[in-house]
Amino acid sequence: MLIVEDNELVTGALSILFEETGRRVTVAHTVAAAVKAGTSDPPDLLLLDLTLPDGDGLEVVRSLVKNGVQPKATVALTGRDDPESLERCIAAGCTEVMLKPVPTRELLRKAEEWLA
Amino acid sequence: MNLVSTIPQSGPHLSLEQRFAALESLYKQAIAEIADMRGRDALKTQYLSNISHDLRTPLTAVITHAEILRDGMLGPMNERQLDSIRGIISGGRQLLDQVGEILTYARGAANQLTLTPSTFSFSDVVGQVLQMNESLIAKKRLTLDLRVPKDLPPVFADREKVAHILGNLFGNAIDFTPVGGRVWIGATMRGERELIAEVGDNGMGIAPEHHDFIFEEFAQVDSSASRQHHGTGLGLTIAQKLVELHRGRIWVESELGGGSRFYFTIPNSKDAR
Repeated sequence: MLIVEDNELVTGALSILFEETGRRVTVAHTVAAAVKAGTSDPPDLLLLDLTLPDGDGLEVVRSLVKNGVQPKATVALTGRDDPESLERCIAAGCTEVMLKPVPTRELLRKAEEWLA
Repeated sequence: MNLVSTIPQSGPHLSLEQRFAALESLYKQAIAEIADMRGRDALKTQYLSNISHDLRTPLTAVITHAEILRDGMLGPMNERQLDSIRGIISGGRQLLDQVGEILTYARGAANQLTLTPSTFSFSDVVGQVLQMNESLIAKKRLTLDLRVPKDLPPVFADREKVAHILGNLFGNAIDFTPVGGRVWIGATMRGERELIAEVGDNGMGIAPEHHDFIFEEFAQVDSSASRQHHGTGLGLTIAQKLVELHRGRIWVESELGGGSRFYFTIPNSKDAR
């Protein structure tokens, strides 16, 4: 799976969470790094922050699709719960949009569901 | 700026034209100062919005790490360690709620809040709010009265925002009522056109001269450092904003020592914007 989020405190926590449940985790902190990592090693699950230092997180989804990479599930983890953000994510092809911080139990349960 | 004291008075030395010119210059100065203050206010609102976003991120990390430990993913925890970790999680979530309130306030102040209406049961919203406050009610051994009729017709409004309004009012009711006191939630539909909800308590009450003040942003009747009731001071401002977004009304009936009854109305019509 690929976790795209600019804050290392958050990627650190999410990496432990998913690695401890037996997943192989790749982390990217920018749009550019995410597109590179996702293209060379296509993830089954993509967790995505929307605001990245070099642009819009949804750009990662669009670029990966262009490169022929379509994860089983693409989930936007966002700090904004306004209807516009939600619509934008769904329009870009996200499976689901979740408000940070998602309780870990819920996140793990959902991950099982997405990848089933 | 004290305009009144600087208005040129009539006197032997100033002609009518001179006094008029002086007034005009003061007027321009006032307009410029108002524009400047509005600009600063908008900046402050934007700052609040940005800082709330930025505060959420490290909080996310704190809570996620604590939940990983709580669930024993990095090895078993003993009961005392678990208690301590649960404390970190509750504290983090409480802080997150407060940051969320600041963000909602900032969006409201910048007119960025919109309604997503649907048809729902107000009783369900009451149930949801009660569930969130269950442990607090039990801890303070409060008596709870529910005066929501079983056959209350459904409401067409923004469910989440109505829950937010009720949650803020009920949270205050619990907070400002002493141990062993009484709190209640009531609702009635006026002619199917308007929902009237009531949140009451027999707590400390609010002096009539503070009834308008408490709805103002950052207002706390006791704002001293030693105050007993903490919070963002935004709960009622947000409740009022969300009620007004629905084109409803919100008001309080209370006196010092006589408990408080907060009321709000939500027009039950598809005209609500």
